[in-house]
Amino acid sequence: MSFELIKDILIATVPLLVIFPSLFAFTTWMERKALARIQNRIGPNKTGIPCTRIGLFGLGQPAADGIKMIFKEDIVPRGADKLFHLLAPILALIPAMLILCFLPLEFPWGKFMSAPVQAFLLDSAVIFFFAISGLATLAIFMAGWASRNKYSLLGGMRAVAQMVSYEIPLVLSAVVVVMMVGSLNAKEIADAQTGFNWFVFTPWGLAAFVIFFIAALAETNRSPFDLPEAESEIIAGYFTEYSGFKFALFFLGEYIAMFAISGLAVTLFLGAGDGPFLTAAPWLSVMWFIGKIFGLIAVMIWLRGTLPRLRVDQLMAFAWKFLLPLSIFNILLAGLTHFALDARVAATSDAILYSIHASHTHSDAANHDHPKPVAGQKEAVMGALHYTDKDWMGAMKWFSKAALKGHAQSRSILGWGFGIWAMSLIVLYVMAKGLDNVSRSTAKPREYLYAE
Amino acid sequence: MSILGGGIFKGMAVTLRNFVGSYFYKERLTTNDYEWRPDGALPQSIGDYPKEEGEQLSDTTTVNHYSRNFPMLLHDTGEPMDTIRCVACQICERECPPQCIYIEKSTEKIENADGKPQFYPAKFDIDVSVCMSCQICVEVCPFDAIVMNSQFELSTPDRFGGLLVRRDDLLKSNDYYHKIHPQEAAARDQKMADDKAAKVAKKKAAAEKAKAAAEAKAASAAEAKASEDKTEDAE
Repeated sequence: MSFELIKDILIATVPLLVIFPSLFAFTTWMERKALARIQNRIGPNKTGIPCTRIGLFGLGQPAADGIKMIFKEDIVPRGADKLFHLLAPILALIPAMLILCFLPLEFPWGKFMSAPVQAFLLDSAVIFFFAISGLATLAIFMAGWASRNKYSLLGGMRAVAQMVSYEIPLVLSAVVVVMMVGSLNAKEIADAQTGFNWFVFTPWGLAAFVIFFIAALAETNRSPFDLPEAESEIIAGYFTEYSGFKFALFFLGEYIAMFAISGLAVTLFLGAGDGPFLTAAPWLSVMWFIGKIFGLIAVMIWLRGTLPRLRVDQLMAFAWKFLLPLSIFNILLAGLTHFALDARVAATSDAILYSIHASHTHSDAANHDHPKPVAGQKEAVMGALHYTDKDWMGAMKWFSKAALKGHAQSRSILGWGFGIWAMSLIVLYVMAKGLDNVSRSTAKPREYLYAE
Repeated sequence: MSILGGGIFKGMAVTLRNFVGSYFYKERLTTNDYEWRPDGALPQSIGDYPKEEGEQLSDTTTVNHYSRNFPMLLHDTGEPMDTIRCVACQICERECPPQCIYIEKSTEKIENADGKPQFYPAKFDIDVSVCMSCQICVEVCPFDAIVMNSQFELSTPDRFGGLLVRRDDLLKSNDYYHKIHPQEAAARDQKMADDKAAKVAKKKAAAEKAKAAAEAKAASAAEAKASEDKTEDAE
């Protein structure tokens, strides 16, 4: 192995191994603080700098937790399968760390590297992401089984049922973006969204984002889908029998998985590293990316402080009767909308481009009169060019400039564009509302035999 | 027709209001932010504060007077065992839901604060590791002898005996009670005084009634005697 290769590997992996675990520490603190404030408490506020009275708003809490976890006794139940009991937390962490590699993070290594580094530049990154994150299910069931504890086993079984069910809407909602971009490469998906062409601004993208986010909550066992570790029902679910550092590994794995899946949501729908001031400071890209991840995590924490836990039948009914049909319908709608937009807008913008082209060729002929340029034609052409570049935001800007100057074709494009946009939003809402009405779980609690 | 997911947004608005409000309105906070004390010790309870000269205890440095933790026994001013209010009637022991109170009644009576001979608890133990702070013992006590303390630093290295609080440790003076729960203590004292007054009044009324009855009886006896005399005379 050459020195260059080792350097490349280190540069690509060390940021992931350093940044995300430290973000995890910060997130545990943030979550505790936010939940406390939501419940009108103060939260950790005493653990700051050791041996002093400086509280630092309790920012030392993660370090104290970590030290505690390391020094705690590692208890393995007598009946447990010792090998798998040991392997499960490690296997829960590995896929979570691994899928971080697929995120199109561009660390600012300007001095050392000519090109931005991504840990694992893969053409089928999105597929690999889902494939590897699915492995976490196995680790969780392994933990539940190896503990030889009924609560662990119940939690493990719940986790498997839930994660397998919610993986389907998760993948199907991501399909929409893959359709639009025409690539599974995370970098290309990120590049397709530069200039605020985020997919969340399209109706199908918005619906897909909402479905993706809900399914991601269930995938990472977050409230309100935290049935596998429902402490009021089954103690701590699959990690009932885990203590000390193994427990910490599970905890870490769970949060890293949260980061990873939020990162994928950011990549697919929220424009990856796209944001303002990027032309002035390209290194801001990674800041925007992590900032957006934190935004999603904050919403997750907020939801955890708000929503009560679902019942198992509600959970299953929601996945199979609501999210799955809606995500399939969303794919259909995305295709149809794209088709309709192409049929109208693309044809019109082609016509604009053709007209300017024709006028140029004609004006070359000396015997012809120079055709009088239509008002706003220049802007319309710019819009059409942006449209062929798939820069919808830029196209919209130029077309609306042209339309303000009275350019008829641009007006028609804008009308059709907004009409289709609003119609698909309404159709999606009506569809979701209808599905909601029919998909509610009708299961009644079993009649109590000894009611008398 | 409600908006899809409207309930979620409503709930999120509530939690957001709590989140933001708790930073701006101190009265929203259900817990207090305990400051480090100058002497380095954590506060035990509100009564434990030796207020230093000129030091103003802010609301956030003390447990407020609504704080309730575990029960304690009350005695009036004087030596604890001479003025203990408890008469070992064992009502609290019977009513305690988790059965954390253990009482042994004394064999002989001693004089209580009113100078009345009463039984007293030879043993009165509360296992605070079992106690659920339900305050039922306080509700049922007819002698206002057991009330709630607000002491909360109860951790102990002794796993077995450390959390079993004995009678002498449970005994606290009425002054201490006034210090930690001023409103409740004043109300209780008022109630006790009223009860006592009512009792005295009742006794007085009963005595008067008895006197009246005795008089009436005497009168009727006299009348009867008189009538007897009459009949005798008639004969």
